[in-house]
Amino acid sequence: MVTPPPRTPYDDEHDGPLEEARAWGVVSYLLAGLLTFGGLGLLADHLLGTSWLVLVGLLTGVGLAFYLIWFRYGTP
Amino acid sequence: MSALVLAAQGEGFTPPGKEDFWWPILGSDTSAWTLTRPAVMALLSVALLAWFLLAATRHRSIIPGKLQFVGEGAYGFVRESIGRDLIGSKDFLRFMPLLFTQFSVILLNNLFGIIPFVQYPTMSRYGFPVALAAITYFTFHAVGFRKKGFVGYFKDLVPPGLPGWIVPVIFVLEFVDKFITRPLTLSLRLFANMFAGHLLLLVFILGAEHMLLTGGPALKVAGVLSGVLAIVMTFFELLVEVLQAYIFTLLTALYIGGALAEEH
Repeated sequence: MVTPPPRTPYDDEHDGPLEEARAWGVVSYLLAGLLTFGGLGLLADHLLGTSWLVLVGLLTGVGLAFYLIWFRYGTP
Repeated sequence: MSALVLAAQGEGFTPPGKEDFWWPILGSDTSAWTLTRPAVMALLSVALLAWFLLAATRHRSIIPGKLQFVGEGAYGFVRESIGRDLIGSKDFLRFMPLLFTQFSVILLNNLFGIIPFVQYPTMSRYGFPVALAAITYFTFHAVGFRKKGFVGYFKDLVPPGLPGWIVPVIFVLEFVDKFITRPLTLSLRLFANMFAGHLLLLVFILGAEHMLLTGGPALKVAGVLSGVLAIVMTFFELLVEVLQAYIFTLLTALYIGGALAEEH
């Protein structure tokens, strides 16, 4: 008979280090969204001589980051 | 308030700043060859850890001694609740040397921040967290490229099941996340926590010293309070130091686990 490996207190699927690690990693996605699309907005502003595209970029970036985080971690 | 009283008395108090983190030992310029206090401490930490781990594993017995108990406890913690849980039972063992080294080196160097006579967190110099984050960075990308191939790794960046029109945008986001902001947040989180923590302790301790030595009766009371708070903050720092070593290792394991996982 095969004995199962010893179970740690963290074995529940939606609890413990995995969820915790993801929570700490989320900052990276938010920053990626802000930097990428905020940067694109800034570039567009610079090229077109406008001043509001950077805001659109920042909001789009953070919105996309939220969407991605929800899609990756929030759906079963 | 206290600043006003101090100004009225004509006393000069220089608040601690980033100059307090510059400790040259050999040489005094900012060139790469100046031997500094954190560099010596990093070397010291390696020597201490080597001694500790050799001593803890030399006379192993079924009923562990104190050293063996602490050593095995720390290793078991990193192995079971970081390595196995985040990388998976199949692959985690070959990453344990990396994970345990990162955890122990960061933990000891952080604890240096409150160990008497050392009292300086090595990681408050940004170069050290950068080097550690670089190891994590190259490891998890190398693991991913080796496992999935060059094209496969990039294909796997995007999670499956997304609506088609959004895939290119999400790919850009995932790319920036994995190649730019992950190492950035990993190193900055450790550095900023240690830097700010040390600065906080300096404010309370230097403030207490200044008020006790040069202030009037009212300021002496404030100085005692500041000293008490310095002790409270030292215990708070202990918590932050352990937590940051844990989080850094946790994220290294998460990133390696993510690079290994199949997502299609």
